[in-house]
Amino acid sequence: MNNYLNLLIGLAMGLNLIALGSSRLPSLIRAVSAQGIVLGLMPLLLEHHPDWRVLVVVVATVAGKGFVIPWLLRRAMRAATIERELNPLVGFVPSLLLGAGGTIAAVAFARLLPLLPEHAGSLLVPGALASVLTGFILLIGRVKAISQVCGYLILENGIYLFGLLLIRSTPLLVEAGVLLDLTVGVFVIGIIVDRIQRAFDSLDTRKLTVLRE
Amino acid sequence: MTPGPLLLTAIVALAAAIVAGLRWPRAWLGLNLLASAAAFGAALSPLLGGPAWEWFGTVTVGGETPHLRVDAVSGIFLVLIAVVGAAGAGYSREYWSDGLHPASAPRSRGWWSGLVLCMVLVTTVSNGLHFLIAWEAFAVCGYFLITLERKRPAARAAGWLYLVASHAGTLGLFAFFSLLAARTGSWDLGPMRENADLAPLVWLVLFGFGVKAGVFGLHIWLPSAHANAPSHVSAIMSGVAIKMGIFGIVRFSGWLPTPTAAGWLVTGLGATGALLGIAFAFAQDDLKRLLAYCSVENIGIILMGVGGAMLAVSQGDAGWGRLALAGALLHVWNHGAFKTLLFLGAGSVLHGTGTRRMSRLGGLWRVMPWTAGFFLLGALAVAGLPPLNGFVSEWLVYLGFFDAVTAKGTSAWVAMPAVLMLALAGALALASFAKAGGMIFLGAPRTPAAARAHECGRWMRGPMLGLAAICLLIGLVPVLFWPMVARAVGAWHPAWNTMEAPAPIATLGSVQAALAGVIVVVAAGLWWRTRANGLRRALTWDCGYATPTARMQYSSGSFAGIGSGWFSLVLRPVRHWRRPRGVLPAGAFRLDRVPDVVLARVLTPMSDLILRCSTAVRRLQHGRLQDYILYVVAGLAVMAVLVSMGGVL
Repeated sequence: MNNYLNLLIGLAMGLNLIALGSSRLPSLIRAVSAQGIVLGLMPLLLEHHPDWRVLVVVVATVAGKGFVIPWLLRRAMRAATIERELNPLVGFVPSLLLGAGGTIAAVAFARLLPLLPEHAGSLLVPGALASVLTGFILLIGRVKAISQVCGYLILENGIYLFGLLLIRSTPLLVEAGVLLDLTVGVFVIGIIVDRIQRAFDSLDTRKLTVLRE
Repeated sequence: MTPGPLLLTAIVALAAAIVAGLRWPRAWLGLNLLASAAAFGAALSPLLGGPAWEWFGTVTVGGETPHLRVDAVSGIFLVLIAVVGAAGAGYSREYWSDGLHPASAPRSRGWWSGLVLCMVLVTTVSNGLHFLIAWEAFAVCGYFLITLERKRPAARAAGWLYLVASHAGTLGLFAFFSLLAARTGSWDLGPMRENADLAPLVWLVLFGFGVKAGVFGLHIWLPSAHANAPSHVSAIMSGVAIKMGIFGIVRFSGWLPTPTAAGWLVTGLGATGALLGIAFAFAQDDLKRLLAYCSVENIGIILMGVGGAMLAVSQGDAGWGRLALAGALLHVWNHGAFKTLLFLGAGSVLHGTGTRRMSRLGGLWRVMPWTAGFFLLGALAVAGLPPLNGFVSEWLVYLGFFDAVTAKGTSAWVAMPAVLMLALAGALALASFAKAGGMIFLGAPRTPAAARAHECGRWMRGPMLGLAAICLLIGLVPVLFWPMVARAVGAWHPAWNTMEAPAPIATLGSVQAALAGVIVVVAAGLWWRTRANGLRRALTWDCGYATPTARMQYSSGSFAGIGSGWFSLVLRPVRHWRRPRGVLPAGAFRLDRVPDVVLARVLTPMSDLILRCSTAVRRLQHGRLQDYILYVVAGLAVMAVLVSMGGVL
């Protein structure tokens, strides 16, 4: 069981690096959507006796993270007619190096944490930390609003992984609520992206500095 | 009659006056006079020996039961508010009339009544929370009165400085009242001398109220606010509003246990403030700035008395403290009377000539005899000359400190230099007002504006006459006022609750009366002689100039030059000048200015530094989303490092 779980988490960590390395927005969105599907399947592995509520959550998560949100992002991308992330603030190779370094640091840091014995062997905590770091790198290093949304999604995926640690004590309903929040958030960002595009004729968030006062 | 109904009348009348002032000036004046009479009556009852009046409300305001209290200490200040409030209201009817200032006159009336109302509440409310509300409203009313002429940048700057300084003080008071409430468990105020934990709070009292009182060092807002406000506003600000700071210090130094160091500090601050305040006053050219610095001096004298009393209490209720405190409280009245009179006189000069710069005035004695007479009377009173009221209260402070010196305790160490400084301050006050009176009223007009001056009308003269009469009355019959002051001292410290007048007060009254008699007789004799022999008019010694002009008279700078030179270490005068060169010099000038040293040398550099630091920090706030996220990550990383260090250690 733990091995399958670790395999999935390793897959998610690999997808992190793909997200960091991809310069084209469609492949970035694809990486995020794949990661969402992978994470969505995890409760099935964690719950020893899955009942219908777990199934509902799994279906909702996979549908939301894996299909609905990416679909919204693709729509926004087409509306804004951008395909590529040009001039990132942190280049793709440095991002990859940072992400790899971050993943190693996350594994090292997780050993220092006082974890429960049943979590000590799994990659849950390092995977969560690595995803959060990846999200941050994307948020800091990219200028297009859509890449930033992807950054937020990966960040949220990391938090979701943390949440899985508590799956025994926290009802899955909470997770479902977080997912709903996120969907609404992506909707709002989609609208904002549209507005930014119309107002500034570009999705470059650096141009938002004129709004600071 | 108990103070209750009278106080209620005063409060209701003032609240109605705020509304009436916007439209009906006559009704406003009537309501203000009614309120003053009622407040005066309410204050007299405890001053004339009645019991302290207390009232608890039934409905809570802001979660607290309203609690009003009128005892002899608040009575002293209520009387002052009533008298100056009435005088200023009458004066403003002509000075700030609808005809002269159509835009700001209604506002002036509304805020005036608001200010008086808030001050009445400040002196009577006995609940910490309500006190803070009244205090804040009082500060705001003051701000709007100072900035009545809001088109003038100087008035706006002065108002801004006042507001900032005032709020710095209020911050101290917020800390004070909340700590007090936290330590006693209730916002209700009252005597709590036995609770020794409260002693450190006195420092907050001194700071919070000291800013409002204009204690030297915290006085930065005072000169510009008093100079730029309309004169009736300067009069109430200087005569009454800064006394609210004194009220706070007197009230809470009486109710709280005071650390010994506080007595030393207040006495020292008072004495230094008296000396430096008047040194600054001496160097001013702006008449109203001179009067404002003179208020700093008088606040110093009052604080000397209060500090002396605090010191005496902490050293086993030495009797000399009683005299010092009585002198301070009487000086509250006296300064209120003569400083209001002087500011109203200054307003009359400003009204008649349009300038408050003394080096542009001169020779007004002839065209403004009433103003000149009142101003000179006020000047004699403020200089502490017998037979006027300033002498009486300063004499009481002197007596207290003389006793402290002869008692040979540790307090002699502060009493001796304090007396010397007070004496020096008195001499400088005399010099300052000799300068002010001489520059404005004597000699020849220095500018066409001064030559075209005109005397003020009845409504401006009346209040000045009333205040001048008060100055004379307190000066000539001090025995009449002693019992009231003695009751206030008794209310401040119950151990000193005795009516027995010190022997010198009775003698002083007769000496003052005799002196006044001699002055009247000599004046009458001189008048009779000039009447009989006629006056011989001739040129004064004219230094050999063929055509002397009015501009060759002494200027205020030259009058004060040597004297302010003695204090140049503190005053830091700014001089611009060009010497006359050659046999036939083309042009030369000399300009002396004395900016406020605390503001210019301490606070402005400090605020500049803070501003530079914040501008540097502000670069972090640039609006780039990516960098903000970086800050968050950096913060998280630091925390993670801390946590992991904690894990390792």
